[in-house]
Amino acid sequence: MTIAILSGKGGTGKTTLSTNLAGVADNAVLIDCDVEEPNAHLFFRPKLTATKALEVRYPEIDNDLCTHCRKCAEFCRFHAIIAGPKVTLVLKELCHDCGGCFAVCPSGAVSFGSRTIGAIHTCEILDGKTLVYGVLDTGELSGVKIIDEVKHMVEDAPLVLIDSPPGTSCSAVAAVEGADYAVIVSEPTPFGVSDMKMVVELLRTMDIPFGVVVNKSGIGDREIYDYCESEGLTILGEIPFDRDLARGYAEGTPACTMSESYRDMFYGIWTVILDAAEETVNGRS
Amino acid sequence: MKLAFCLTRDAIDAPLDQRFGRAEFYGIVDSETGAFEAFENSAKHASGGAGSKAVQQLVDKGVEAVIAPEVGPQALDALNAFSITAFRQGGCTTVQKALDAFKAGTLEKVEKPGNKGLHRA
Repeated sequence: MTIAILSGKGGTGKTTLSTNLAGVADNAVLIDCDVEEPNAHLFFRPKLTATKALEVRYPEIDNDLCTHCRKCAEFCRFHAIIAGPKVTLVLKELCHDCGGCFAVCPSGAVSFGSRTIGAIHTCEILDGKTLVYGVLDTGELSGVKIIDEVKHMVEDAPLVLIDSPPGTSCSAVAAVEGADYAVIVSEPTPFGVSDMKMVVELLRTMDIPFGVVVNKSGIGDREIYDYCESEGLTILGEIPFDRDLARGYAEGTPACTMSESYRDMFYGIWTVILDAAEETVNGRS
Repeated sequence: MKLAFCLTRDAIDAPLDQRFGRAEFYGIVDSETGAFEAFENSAKHASGGAGSKAVQQLVDKGVEAVIAPEVGPQALDALNAFSITAFRQGGCTTVQKALDAFKAGTLEKVEKPGNKGLHRA
């Protein structure tokens, strides 16, 4: 079972929910796919067990073999290749490593170099659970390759929780792709609801079943409830706007380790999520 | 010599654009004959790599120098690879003023990129 936690708007509680679910769910493996700004590890005292560099390929063009036919440059939608009459130039930082230039080159002039764009860390957290998180190097364009590799590394785990990037861009799509179920964490504010609508559209397009957790409930307005009702979305749980929760977060302590009542609250939310996810997955198979 | 300019409109008297990769139009002047042509920048709405796509258009037109507000690091490397010299337009507001300054040798050559290139920290 793979469950992705995402939000649309940043700061609505993806990491709060992910880290606490990882704390209360048996056998959970937590992966932080917000590789531009991973932060789940800050809430544990992780024991680092492995680190590996993430390498991607980029084309190298042999200008002796190249006939400057422009096919590679015309194929590359990321403008990573500029074709001139005598020189065909690669801007490797723009390359997304799709291999298309190699495939379309008629003269065998394209080979691949490789470069490091980030790293993946595997750690032990809590009582023997696993956290894997990717870090994209500053200035790099796309974390998709790192996200794909992080997911590949945990594909045999029985239960994977994905802390996804905010937004609905390529990296958010990569994080939730293949998930059995998704949880949208939103907040009862106009911005939270507005960005959540984009995520709803994304998940429907990707055909991933999902439910909603309302974080910071008690602030803002009723729009999120009205929206969920009108769209037929299930609210799986609510996390109150609570000063102690915020203090724990600021100190880097998962709420479920702070008190029995927080633990019970997140365990309650988790059982609802798991039931909804299992019901949907079983209903589909 | 074919010189490229960043233009806000499709006209030789248009104000110079304050962006290179995302300029609205490019204008090309032949400094010997005075011939002028302008074309819409197909990179202006690119989600990424606008500088690179801009350079491709200038390469395709056989431009030898470009006069721009600023050039990012990726674009500058690319311009250098195609032997296109970049100059800063500075306070010049029109093609004519920039052309006069170019001919007078008072435009500053871009040796180091501006700090606005987002894709190389």
